[in-house]
Amino acid sequence: MPRYAMAIDLAACVGCAACSVACKLENEVPVGVNRLWIRSTELGTFPHLTVEYRPEQCLHCANPPCVPVCPTGCCYIGEGGLVLLEERRCIGCAACIAACPYDARYMHPAGYVGKCDFCEHRVRAGRVPACVETCPTLCRYFGDLDDPNSTVSVALREAGRVDVLRPELGTKPKLFYLNTPAKFGLAGNHQEVVS
Amino acid sequence: MKLRRREFIKLSAAAVGALSLGGGAQAFMPNPFRGPPGKWFTREVSEVFSVCENCFWRCGVKVYVEGGKVRKIDGYVGNPKSNGMLCPRGHGAIAQTYDPDRLKRPLIRAAGSVRGEGKYREASWDEAFSYITEKMLAIKERYGTEAVAFFGHGTGDRWFAEFLPGAWGSPNAAKPSHSLCVAPRETASMWTFGRGIAGHEQIDWGNTDYMVLLGHHIGEDTHNTQLQDFAMALKRGAKLVVVDPRFSTAASKADRWLPIKPGTDTALLLAWLHVLVTEELYDRAYLEKYTLGFEELVKHVQEFTPEWAAAITDLPAETIRIVARELAAHAPRAVLPVGRHVVWYGNDTQRMRAFFLVNILLGNYGVPGGYYLSTPPVLPEYPHPPLPLTPAAGGCAGVGAAEAPTGFRPAADRNRFFGTATAIQELIEPMITGEPYPLKGLWAYGTNLFHSIPNVPRTKEALRNLDLYVAIDVLPMEHVMWADVILPEATYLERYDDLIGFSYRNPFIQARFPAVEPLWQTKPGWWIARELGIRLGLGEFFPWDDFEEYLDTRLRGIGSSLEEMRTKGTIIQRGRPFLADWEARGRNPFNTPSGKIEIFSQTFADNGFDPLPLYTPPAEGPSGYYRLLYGRSPVHTFARTHNNPILMEMHGENALWLNADEAAQHGLRHGDYVWLENQDGVREGPIKIYATQRIRKDCVYMVHGFGHQAPLMKVANSRGACDNRLITYYTLDVISGGAGLRNNFVRIIPGAPRPRHTPLAQLAERSL
Amino acid sequence: MIEFYALPNSGIFWSWPKLVHYTLVALAGGTALLTALAALRHDPKLRTYAILAIVLIALDMLVLWAGSPSALRFTHIWLFLSFNPQSAIWLGSWGLVISALLCLLLALNLGPRRVWGGILVLSALVALLYPGLMMAVNVNRPLWTPLLLAFFPVTGLLIALAAAVVLRQRWLAPWLAGLSLASAALGALYLADLALGHTEAREALAHFWHLGGPLFALGLALLLASPALIKRLPLIAGLLPLVGAVLTRSLIIDIGQFQPFGF
Repeated sequence: MPRYAMAIDLAACVGCAACSVACKLENEVPVGVNRLWIRSTELGTFPHLTVEYRPEQCLHCANPPCVPVCPTGCCYIGEGGLVLLEERRCIGCAACIAACPYDARYMHPAGYVGKCDFCEHRVRAGRVPACVETCPTLCRYFGDLDDPNSTVSVALREAGRVDVLRPELGTKPKLFYLNTPAKFGLAGNHQEVVS
Repeated sequence: MKLRRREFIKLSAAAVGALSLGGGAQAFMPNPFRGPPGKWFTREVSEVFSVCENCFWRCGVKVYVEGGKVRKIDGYVGNPKSNGMLCPRGHGAIAQTYDPDRLKRPLIRAAGSVRGEGKYREASWDEAFSYITEKMLAIKERYGTEAVAFFGHGTGDRWFAEFLPGAWGSPNAAKPSHSLCVAPRETASMWTFGRGIAGHEQIDWGNTDYMVLLGHHIGEDTHNTQLQDFAMALKRGAKLVVVDPRFSTAASKADRWLPIKPGTDTALLLAWLHVLVTEELYDRAYLEKYTLGFEELVKHVQEFTPEWAAAITDLPAETIRIVARELAAHAPRAVLPVGRHVVWYGNDTQRMRAFFLVNILLGNYGVPGGYYLSTPPVLPEYPHPPLPLTPAAGGCAGVGAAEAPTGFRPAADRNRFFGTATAIQELIEPMITGEPYPLKGLWAYGTNLFHSIPNVPRTKEALRNLDLYVAIDVLPMEHVMWADVILPEATYLERYDDLIGFSYRNPFIQARFPAVEPLWQTKPGWWIARELGIRLGLGEFFPWDDFEEYLDTRLRGIGSSLEEMRTKGTIIQRGRPFLADWEARGRNPFNTPSGKIEIFSQTFADNGFDPLPLYTPPAEGPSGYYRLLYGRSPVHTFARTHNNPILMEMHGENALWLNADEAAQHGLRHGDYVWLENQDGVREGPIKIYATQRIRKDCVYMVHGFGHQAPLMKVANSRGACDNRLITYYTLDVISGGAGLRNNFVRIIPGAPRPRHTPLAQLAERSL
Repeated sequence: MIEFYALPNSGIFWSWPKLVHYTLVALAGGTALLTALAALRHDPKLRTYAILAIVLIALDMLVLWAGSPSALRFTHIWLFLSFNPQSAIWLGSWGLVISALLCLLLALNLGPRRVWGGILVLSALVALLYPGLMMAVNVNRPLWTPLLLAFFPVTGLLIALAAAVVLRQRWLAPWLAGLSLASAALGALYLADLALGHTEAREALAHFWHLGGPLFALGLALLLASPALIKRLPLIAGLLPLVGAVLTRSLIIDIGQFQPFGF
């Protein structure tokens, strides 16, 4: 059983949003909600500056807070460790949206929750998610963590620095950020300058 | 009682059943055991090869069609432009095809109405063509064929800015991509190397170790392949220096950022030349073998010390020196990659000359790690009688004809500048003044007259003076709704186009196949061109009537066929990318008068221009004003994608980059709305303030293309502000004809109201 | 500065229908508990309480259904076709439904009254406890602290009792005073706990105070006022803590949806 994960090299990402638009079209995400967005954070003071371009989406946590709160069992961990949801069981209670620390989940206008599913329909067919395939800076890696030769395992090994979002919450995300240009770790709301 | 109850249950069950079987409105699915309908990929999907038209890089794409609708567009491996990847505009192009605001049927301006009033009646194609033909022949009769100007941009500009004007007999064909974009670099390159840069900038990113970008905001400018190459170079460990008044995305990846004072880049380049020359860091063997005029350069650059440049550019002299030395240390795998939009301050050809000279001294032109030599593709024309004249519209694909046309008056912008390609902004004045001769007709194909050409009031005055103005476009842009006749073109997903060939290290040819039928009454550009051509009496130049036959004939000329292209999408040919390849065949790539790279340009000297570049300071603005700079967003293309709700959801309005300390001085906070007023008193806005550390204090910056005043475009209208309306002044580059657009200055007027817009989700839900 | 292409989904997800539900569920749960106590004490008003409880539970479930974006998909049936005891909402749904069924049995006087009453105590407590749990499980929302596991049941029961007192059930008045004071104390403790917490908690408190501080203080004041007025003005003494409890709870639910990771 593979353990799927994704890694994004923030040293390479330019925040172009190709991934975000590709995801929208691939997964018929309506305008108004997003599975994938780009956050760019300016750090430093003139002229000692850096910018962190960071795509954000569902992190497919190994310990997802969204799964236990679902009252109908609609949210579950599927094959390969992908955190998935079965739309037909969704009652729109938004407990999972409340539980997600990463704003990854949204309410689809048709009345069920949606989020990034690592393009499960593509992964099942042996392909990579749409965002990974289209990235023009080749900064995204996807594959099996249990395979030491998969692109994601190699990328994690060779990265100068590996971070995850909000590790203190114990969610164990499986979307890893590599080589963030911010010296102290991933940029957050309270982070200040370090030149 | 019982019966009624049973009937009631039966009826309601039937109603529920009917609703759930309908599978229509997503919101009402009263069957909790059945989920929402499957997405497009769960059903039968067909694939079509095409070429993206959502910017002018034109990547080869695969279009996925399901249920008669385009669902997804992706790049494909095997296409040298996309390599299987695609930028956000490429993916988002679908929303333009299904945009309910699109032009649907030919429109003719209501009789008696004023241009710009927006009063139109729908017409048939026949009627529209008749109107145009009548007016065209009247202009020909009274003023001559030269009196019609043809502006074009996009794949169809081959018909409307090259072929038709050539057949009709007008040299006044212009593309904004020349004098509003690449003119200075093309002219500089032509007279230095005897070769243009043309479309795809020939940088050998795969082998370079040290890159210096001058402006050139890669990452915000997302030319797909260039972004891929740039990212790979960085991954490989190539060093990057970015010279830009603004900390661009590229600067955020750089090892060094040089926050240069705007307008002073030539001084920096001259100082680098000085260091390379005086410290003898140049590639002596390369210069001896390939160039002429180095001795003059040595004398010329003696005075341009880094200290001299430091005072001008506001950069430390030591840094200037270090970069020059680092460039030399990595030569010839050190390169200054040439950017595209280089019409900055008016002296741009000389700046590009200095720019190329640095590259030459590094010995990187025609050498791995530097500039490769692109080879044009081999693709025969469809046989047709020779055109009466070959217009020199220039553009991304290079400079047009050098000779003035025989038997016709020269283009109306001759004698204003040295370069031979037409300058679109110089063709506006003849429409008003009638000098050197009147221009009374205008065709605008995919050219946004009010967002690209500077001095919008002048353009509007010119339009009012015309006898005929035809707009061929896809959306009801503001300038389109000034035309006498509006012809709705089908979007690229709905049409064939002529074959697209790219000069490249290994040149290639791409074909565009329609994925879906044109919506409403829209038609492809080639059909419009042919129909009009025939009616104008130019039928002999269109000896084909089936466009598939046209394409097939051209392809058979290189041993292929339309059917083969349908299954491949791209044909790749052999190129000769480096000097060694040329020398191996005994050929000389430098088409200069001397046959060598001309460091010293005798031609420039003969025509009264500096044969070696000098620094001329740019115009300064009034005190209290900031120089207005502009640039690109990765999710938008010029002013054409702002009615696309998906792309607008990514980036829905532009903001004014203002140095944070300057903002504080004005009492402005990030997110406040302001008005801008330029040196000519023109006001624009409201625009949001982006208070940032990422820009110098003497300039402001905004992304180009927003601020549409086009009420028929429900998404684009009034979102953000328009930089071009503030660009009322331009400085003509008298060598290339380029229009220097960055000599406008703005002051900030706080207190603008926050605009309110209809939510994008609501606009995106509209049916066609 | 932070800029975005597209946006994180950081808007509010529980809007006013949910706030109405929180008040109704407090009324329903509290009334069910009162019904249980009435059943155990063999109170003559048992039938009234039971019917009232059924009506309130039904009303609450109607509001939940109608306010749900999935209403017209009728998927709420899955609550009762699945087994997810780790989910607060699942527990609450069953708690409410079982309470309603037991109240129905009690109203129709069918079966062992004390047994039903005993079980009803448990299911009513579930109904009272689950709203607080629904929030407190979310460790990513700093304003939804574990203290809500006490504050919401106590204020929930308070709402039911206060409504009963307003409807002239004077025998509950002493309990009302006690609950009111306890609620106020827990409310103050909630604020103190945030103020003495780490950076994120203090920032969340600042955010909370900025958006709803004065109203929350008003709510606490209303809760404190009740005991003093119980003897002389029982109607007001019932109304004030009702408003105070609804106000403080609603502010916590509404503003608590803020998440520091957002922008």
